[in-house]
Amino acid sequence: MKVKVISRSLDDHLPSSSTAPHPIQRNLDPSLHPFARAREYTRAVTASKMDRMFAKPFVGALEGHQDGVYSLAKDARRIGIVAGGGGDGEVIIHSMSLRRPILKLPQAHKGMVSGLTFTSHKSDMHRQLLSCGSLDMTIKMWKVSPALTGHLSRTAIDMEEGEELDAFGRNAFADVGGKGRLDGMLDEDQARLDLDVDEEGGFLEAEGGGLNMDEEQRQKAAENIEPMMVYQGKHGFNGIDHHRTDTVFATASNTVQIWDHTRSTALSNLQFGSSLETVAKVKFNQSETSVLASIGNDRTMCLYDIRTGKAERRIVMAMRSNSLSWSPTLPTVMLLASEDHNLYTFDIRKLETPTQVYKGHVAGVMSCDWSPTGEEFVSGSYDRTVRLWNRDEGRSRDVYHTKRMQRVFDTVYTPTSDFVLSASDDGNIRIWKNNASAKLGPMDTRERQQMEYRKKLREKWAGEATVRKIDRQRHVPSAIKKTTDLKRTMLDARKAKEENRRRHTREGESKPKAERKKAMVAEQR
Amino acid sequence: MDALLTRAGPMPDKKHTKPRKSLPHQKVNRGKDKPAIDSSLHSILPQTRLAPSLHSHLDDVQPSKELGKIKDKKLRAKLASEQVAQKRARGEREDVQTYLNNPVVTSYSHAFGDESEEEDEAGEPMDTGIEVDEERGERTWRVSQDEIAQSVGIDASGKKFDLKLETVGGGGYSVDYTRNGRHLAIASSHGHVATFDWQAGKLHSEIQLGESVRDIKFLHDQSFFAVAQKKYVFIYDGEGTEVHKLKQHIDVTKMEFLPYHFLLATVPERHVNPWFLKGNSGHLKYHDTSTGLMIAEHKSRLGSVQAMAQNRHNAIIHLGHQNGTVTLWSPNLSTPHVKLLAHVGPVQSISVDPSAGSCGRYMATAGADGRVKVWDNRNWGKTVREWSMRSGGKYEVDWSGRGLLAVGSRGGVSVYRDLHTASSKPPSSYMSMPLPGLAPRSIRFCPYEDILGVGHTAGFSSMLVPGSGISQFDSGEADVYESYGRRREREVRSVMEKIQPDLITMDTDAFLGRVGDGGVANRPVHGPTVREVPFYKKTRAERLEVLGKADTEDAGVLHEEDSADEDASGDEAGVSKPGQGAKRREKVRQEKEKHKMRGKAKSSKRFLRKKRKNVVDPTTVAVKEKLERERAERDKQRKIASGELKVEGGALSRFG
Repeated sequence: MKVKVISRSLDDHLPSSSTAPHPIQRNLDPSLHPFARAREYTRAVTASKMDRMFAKPFVGALEGHQDGVYSLAKDARRIGIVAGGGGDGEVIIHSMSLRRPILKLPQAHKGMVSGLTFTSHKSDMHRQLLSCGSLDMTIKMWKVSPALTGHLSRTAIDMEEGEELDAFGRNAFADVGGKGRLDGMLDEDQARLDLDVDEEGGFLEAEGGGLNMDEEQRQKAAENIEPMMVYQGKHGFNGIDHHRTDTVFATASNTVQIWDHTRSTALSNLQFGSSLETVAKVKFNQSETSVLASIGNDRTMCLYDIRTGKAERRIVMAMRSNSLSWSPTLPTVMLLASEDHNLYTFDIRKLETPTQVYKGHVAGVMSCDWSPTGEEFVSGSYDRTVRLWNRDEGRSRDVYHTKRMQRVFDTVYTPTSDFVLSASDDGNIRIWKNNASAKLGPMDTRERQQMEYRKKLREKWAGEATVRKIDRQRHVPSAIKKTTDLKRTMLDARKAKEENRRRHTREGESKPKAERKKAMVAEQR
Repeated sequence: MDALLTRAGPMPDKKHTKPRKSLPHQKVNRGKDKPAIDSSLHSILPQTRLAPSLHSHLDDVQPSKELGKIKDKKLRAKLASEQVAQKRARGEREDVQTYLNNPVVTSYSHAFGDESEEEDEAGEPMDTGIEVDEERGERTWRVSQDEIAQSVGIDASGKKFDLKLETVGGGGYSVDYTRNGRHLAIASSHGHVATFDWQAGKLHSEIQLGESVRDIKFLHDQSFFAVAQKKYVFIYDGEGTEVHKLKQHIDVTKMEFLPYHFLLATVPERHVNPWFLKGNSGHLKYHDTSTGLMIAEHKSRLGSVQAMAQNRHNAIIHLGHQNGTVTLWSPNLSTPHVKLLAHVGPVQSISVDPSAGSCGRYMATAGADGRVKVWDNRNWGKTVREWSMRSGGKYEVDWSGRGLLAVGSRGGVSVYRDLHTASSKPPSSYMSMPLPGLAPRSIRFCPYEDILGVGHTAGFSSMLVPGSGISQFDSGEADVYESYGRRREREVRSVMEKIQPDLITMDTDAFLGRVGDGGVANRPVHGPTVREVPFYKKTRAERLEVLGKADTEDAGVLHEEDSADEDASGDEAGVSKPGQGAKRREKVRQEKEKHKMRGKAKSSKRFLRKKRKNVVDPTTVAVKEKLERERAERDKQRKIASGELKVEGGALSRFG
């Protein structure tokens, strides 16, 4: 006879010392883990609730504009800054990390600043700001790099200037002089030490420098700043965009004009046939850099190539577009923000129909911008909301709004794609998180693992109605809710009417039109 | 622009993409019979090697040579691949077990200490139990508790103990273990209640309630327990302080706690309320202990309940009634899921097998008729096993974690095993443990131990039943050696993961996360109020069908038939011109006419049948004429259809 019974040794099951972790034993037998599916489902519901609980997308606002902000410009190489153009002709360069203006150009233009863009020089030092005005019919190039010393990347300057730093990279601190700014400053304290005058720009001669200036000093200093170049046009400019690499930029006025930095007159005028429309915006393709697209007030979108100097083809849509954006990763994909509350992506090889319609806004969409990954984009609308979209879904991923945010006229993704910026009528530029529930700041490993696990859970159980509902539901201001409901009622009524009409006409005579084709009127070559 | 168009790659559009052809430079074709070579892959391969530490010993698993005997190539290959996959899976599972459980924490104490190397073969713990030499006449059921205690180590033998409590309690003890088997609660029917960590020998609480007690249950862990007292149910904390008085639960006899749902289920003694007792005392009640809300009350209407058990795998409550019925309940259904006449006479005890081999499928019941029955919940029609007990008294049954069934009756406890296979013979007992002169009131196997706790009239006995418990516990579920901090953390986590009561179903995996039928919209609608689905809500296939563009095969067949009809009957050819949809409707109309009622039961014929034959009245004549006309028309149509009769269309028919 042999008898065996369970007997456990405490040495194996108790921690070896008071600080040692408690020993863990696993048995993967499914019968010891009952309700596995139900428990995981519960966890998924909790995870999606927690995701909504932590959804605090608003990071902060960049203040300083006296009038509404109607144009934004980001610099792909300097992730910490953004330029905003106001309705009163003021241009402000903001520091996003400090959340305050670092350069103000109060009288940049007479009337509204209609477009802003950074130039594309390889060196951070030589990348300047271009602004255009619609009333004064000028384009101005501003030397802004001295003010942005703190935001230059160290390597970029080193490469450009060929200056050698000492072992600690601190030679610049020794002389707070002309060369001092060349040392890349990455935070506020360093920036304070380092800012000073740029001789050419005549920026400021005072100790302390840009970030130490109070409002009065900054204004005084900014009054002295003169543009490096002024380009005079015959018509007001509605938009401007810079070539990806060359010293060439394009403007939108009554035609599309191509300019060179060094020439005071336009290199060429681009026009589709003999059309007499006002061009609203123009954008260069990011990959095929000689291709550019414009949108006009004639409900058109037109493609040009600056190598041939010709307009290639054009589409006419049912409603006009307010903004356009080229996908940074897919060269043939273009996004249009339309006045008919929708956004459309096009494959420019096949312009007869959009590839996807994005519905959700309840007023005209004023702006759009792709994220650097090309997988998602942001749009700002006249309905006072900002929406975030995935490229493959026709429904917005998220919607951002605040009580005080007015009509949104421009939106951009930051180059790191962590944040989204919106410029609105109320004179603020707002910083939003790309992922509403993302945690900013350092995370420890366990926290990160937990968050990843919760994300995966939500993905896995997204098919379950409870989880999906929590994930998708968004509270919007009552005005938007009501408008959405009204819009749906109207669209349904329209559909029902169309359906009735079709039922009472002879069979096959009236066919339903595909939703994507409804927005299109014609394609012209 | 053209350069761009020629150079640009395709736009990834998930909805409309076709599988992309592989680029020609990537592969070198070597003819039809040889696989193509990916040149870039082959350029890398010689320089690439998996690190030896990542080599799996399962890579070179071979199928057994037995398979070589099979002549059919395909069958052989299929069986071989299956066998290899099985072997690999088994090996990987073993690996996981080994890696996760390193060091192997369970050891076995037995009489021959020098055979310890046997345990570690194949890295799997050996089964516990009693091995006897049958040929020498040894039988497992002859082995007494003392013999077991002598032949196992001092650690294990210390777990066999008796608590003699006639002086403090008496009247029979109810027993309950926590889910990790570490803590024990006993309650005598005379009001003596005690909870303790029986392995460490540490008393948590001891109270004399001074009134009758019917049942005791731990809640989610040892820090709370519920006691069914004379009138109400009370909840006490770990130190024995009364924290709640559950006034809704009156005269409760049995309780169960569903740990993953935080539900305390109770059944009362009486099933009909006396007029002076308020509240619905005669109901099965579900009380959420995390929120304090009553979740559900169900009337059983089947007599008082003596037996109650939960199925640990699907949280269904099993009730045994006075009239011999067993019913299965969940909070979501006001009627039982299953109602089963199990015994002739009252059901005294129920237990559901939690072991891996059963997963809650097998249920054991014991009735006052002296029979013990094992049921399979996939087939309630008959018992799997049933046998009579002769000892008499009140029977108690309980399944262990590894599928052993203990049956307690007056004078002792018998343990059976291997009860899942159907047989008409009564099973021979695996162990029998006499308790002379004592009647067990409640028996419970201790989870993760080879221990059976028996509460009886004289106190409590802890007995050794080798092979009854699962040796390897899972710290995530139930940690036998749980520390204070881990217990606290688990408590919070388990409340966060509390499963909602409406997820309790008979089959836990049947609904949640499965694809349904699409809801109400997809179910067939009966009755006259079928609303037509508007065109824009229809699917593409339906739209095409409406437009008459559906490109289905049967449509083609239909078309041919239609054209055949047209040839046969010239006058119909004009009618069915405008498209296939119209043709289809015509076809349907014809079929309907074909099936028009013309038998005996047709009303006009019935009318004629009822009339007297020799009376001529105008109605009868009219009806007769009508019938005659119809028959003639039918004949004509038939002839036209068969081509026997040609119909002249007339001069204008060509314009139709």
